[in-house]
Amino acid sequence: MPFAFTDVEVEIRSNIRTLFRREWDRLALAGTWWSGAERGDIARAARHGRFGGDAQPSSLSDGAIEAAAAIGARPAAIRREWVERVANDLGYPRYVEIVGVTSRLAAIDTFHAAVGTAREPLPEPEPGEPSRSEEPQARPGAAWVPMVGGASITQALSLVDAESTAQEDMHGPLYLTYEGMAELDYVGGLSRAQMELVAARTSAINECFY
Amino acid sequence: MLAHSQMLRASAQVTTIPLDPRAITDRSVDPLLPAGEALLDFVDAVLTGDEASQEVTREAVAGELGPSGLVDAAGVIANFEMMNRIADATGMPVGKGTLKRTAEWRELIGIDRFNHLGS
Repeated sequence: MPFAFTDVEVEIRSNIRTLFRREWDRLALAGTWWSGAERGDIARAARHGRFGGDAQPSSLSDGAIEAAAAIGARPAAIRREWVERVANDLGYPRYVEIVGVTSRLAAIDTFHAAVGTAREPLPEPEPGEPSRSEEPQARPGAAWVPMVGGASITQALSLVDAESTAQEDMHGPLYLTYEGMAELDYVGGLSRAQMELVAARTSAINECFY
Repeated sequence: MLAHSQMLRASAQVTTIPLDPRAITDRSVDPLLPAGEALLDFVDAVLTGDEASQEVTREAVAGELGPSGLVDAAGVIANFEMMNRIADATGMPVGKGTLKRTAEWRELIGIDRFNHLGS
């Protein structure tokens, strides 16, 4: 079973193990705009961009591989003109799904480094067709991709509802639920201030202004 | 970084614990927060260090904050690896009102150099 963490010295909470298994199931299945095999290729391209190693055969276009690698490796280098060019090639929904898959993979891979264990092998893809369900309420706005409502980090992937849901699913077990973020005196394994110090330093190293 | 540096400040104020926020971007500054140095060392090692430095800093965090503190710190780093990518890849802007209100804060912690959106 994936994400057993048997070689890790500390106990990994069951909600994190369950979360990661659910994300692996999602990664293997067809998404909204990409098949399971294509989502696996997106993940491989993202890992190749971030960690190097031999490039592997891919079913993706050069633009999709470039997007996954760039988001995986150095997102602070991304600029509006590049997003527009990639989205002109792929379409905004496919680009947003790449952002979702790649960003959650980065979270899982980083967690493994942090607790001192090797990255989990990617799952075998499952057959099936993407749902291709449109989000009719999404509109262009102040951000670089269309979204539902005003530009907001919790709505960033709302052009592809399944990706937005998966983002929120990760946020709670790894940090706090969106609602829980109002609790400034929260104390778990870390105090809230300690959590925010870690969050802010992570963002500083990633050069993420937001 | 702007959003969570402000949450850090707010949380420190609410819980009346000491904090020097310049430590977010300047590692020569002591954050003053309990176990703050160990946590910053851990973040740096996970994101930019080798396995040896990760092991040393992991043990330091577990020693100061226990196993649950270590797992929580790993989770927070992981979550913001995700959120930073989402923010940067979708061009998430900071509102003009927020920029106006936070000018002094941003100067204190020196983060305007990361504002690649030009907002």
